[in-house]
Amino acid sequence: MKTLKKYFNLYIAMFKASFISDLEYRANFFTRILTDIFWYAAQIVTFEVLYQHTDKIGDWNKYQMRVFLGLLFVIDALYMIFIHENLENLSEKVRKGDLDLLLAKPVNSQFMITLQKANTALIGNLLLGGGWLFYSLHSLGDFNYARLLWLLLLIPCSLVVIYSMRFIFSASAVIFTRSENLQFLWWQVYRIGMRPDSMYFPWFKWIILTVLPVGVIVSIPARALLNPPELFYLAWPVFLVPLLIYFTSKFWNFALKFYSSASS
Amino acid sequence: MKKSFAVFLKRNLAFAKLAIVSNLEYRLNYFVDAIVQPLMTTGIEILLWFAVFQGAHTATINGFGRDSYLSYALWGAFFARIATSWMYEFRMIEEISSGSINSLIVRPMSFYEYYLSQLLGYKFITTVISMIVPIIAAWMFNLPTVFSRIPLAILLCFYYLILVHTISFIVSSVAFHLTKISSFTVAKNLLMWILTGELFPLDLIPDPYKKFIIALPFSSGVFLPVGYITQRVGHAEMVQGFVSVTIGLVVLNLLGAWLWRKGLSAYVGTGA
Repeated sequence: MKTLKKYFNLYIAMFKASFISDLEYRANFFTRILTDIFWYAAQIVTFEVLYQHTDKIGDWNKYQMRVFLGLLFVIDALYMIFIHENLENLSEKVRKGDLDLLLAKPVNSQFMITLQKANTALIGNLLLGGGWLFYSLHSLGDFNYARLLWLLLLIPCSLVVIYSMRFIFSASAVIFTRSENLQFLWWQVYRIGMRPDSMYFPWFKWIILTVLPVGVIVSIPARALLNPPELFYLAWPVFLVPLLIYFTSKFWNFALKFYSSASS
Repeated sequence: MKKSFAVFLKRNLAFAKLAIVSNLEYRLNYFVDAIVQPLMTTGIEILLWFAVFQGAHTATINGFGRDSYLSYALWGAFFARIATSWMYEFRMIEEISSGSINSLIVRPMSFYEYYLSQLLGYKFITTVISMIVPIIAAWMFNLPTVFSRIPLAILLCFYYLILVHTISFIVSSVAFHLTKISSFTVAKNLLMWILTGELFPLDLIPDPYKKFIIALPFSSGVFLPVGYITQRVGHAEMVQGFVSVTIGLVVLNLLGAWLWRKGLSAYVGTGA
């Protein structure tokens, strides 16, 4: 309990430091929102154009797809705020030897690498994504808002899944030293999860829900909102999360065996 | 005049070679960049088109069959890899923000040509290596492709690349005045993602937006060359593509030159 409190206080201190440092570049708040508006627009326009030519993609119609995209924006914004920048810069830290400083601290190195810097400039994007989600839920007409409670359970699970998968890609930088394009490869894998699982072939759907669980990130919370509750889809992320956390910890320790400090 | 042109050519060939050598240095990295990434994009887009056709319960969408869209997804992913500039734009911005540009502006060459030649060299080797994949795939799976049209399509894409570089030059010129501008690159490239036709064929967009978006020079990055290969567009549209890129080049180069001069006069050379 004492350890948990120590890490909680440490995280609060790091979050505050990140917020102060982000305030230094105020224009950045606007440019980050602008950047993500283009990203949101790209996703929305793609599906809006496709729905001009078809009624359904996978199991879902245009209105349900909008909800799916809203959830994608919210989950992605949360991931970007709390985790993204840390894992994005890991490769750079390995190459420049900055990782030494983190490894030498008297706290869990994986914790530091994961949560050292929050990107508070992206809080605006979360509001924007949340706005789109509520708009799309509203346009469904008969949506039961009590279903939103499922998100309290499923969104944290989704964040752990994104984190774990991204972490494996980032931590590979410790093994390969120069692996920028492996990091770009993560984006391609993530893109698979940015589409509803129901549009994939059954065997591929099985893969993205189990072996490469990017399908869990948005598709399962979206199902919880849009379809009648299915036990497997609700229980699976809860079962998966501890497994993934354990696996990332093991992988990190394994990767560190390859680490040779680059600092002078 | 002849001699100075020969020197210019030799110098820029050296920059291009430098880019080729430095990119091939980390082969795993390069393999992922040139082959694995576009292959994954192709796979994801192909699955999307299967789902769209399944949901539409029709043999054609907008007059084209499923194979035509699969072919577009295949070629589109590889052309899109060629028609974007992330790495060199970030480097250009970094040179200016960090002050390391000092060592470049004192050399007998321009910043614009130094990075343009590197970008073209890098894209040249990427084209040679990566285009083998869609050629083989289109042939193996018998996807609608006019192979004789590939050279002209690549030529338009490379011409468009000069425009892409000019935009990078403009964005990096802004770095003389603002410190954190790499998010401009992300925003701009995301916008291009839609406007080039990488996400879906631009002729699916409803009128009147369709005509306007296709008339922009950005469609020359993916939609026009890929549409030409897969027979969605003809010679007239390709000519229109060359014309719109030319107009874009004139306008943006003028803007770039003005911003560069303004930036240089504001630059104090710190961080050298």
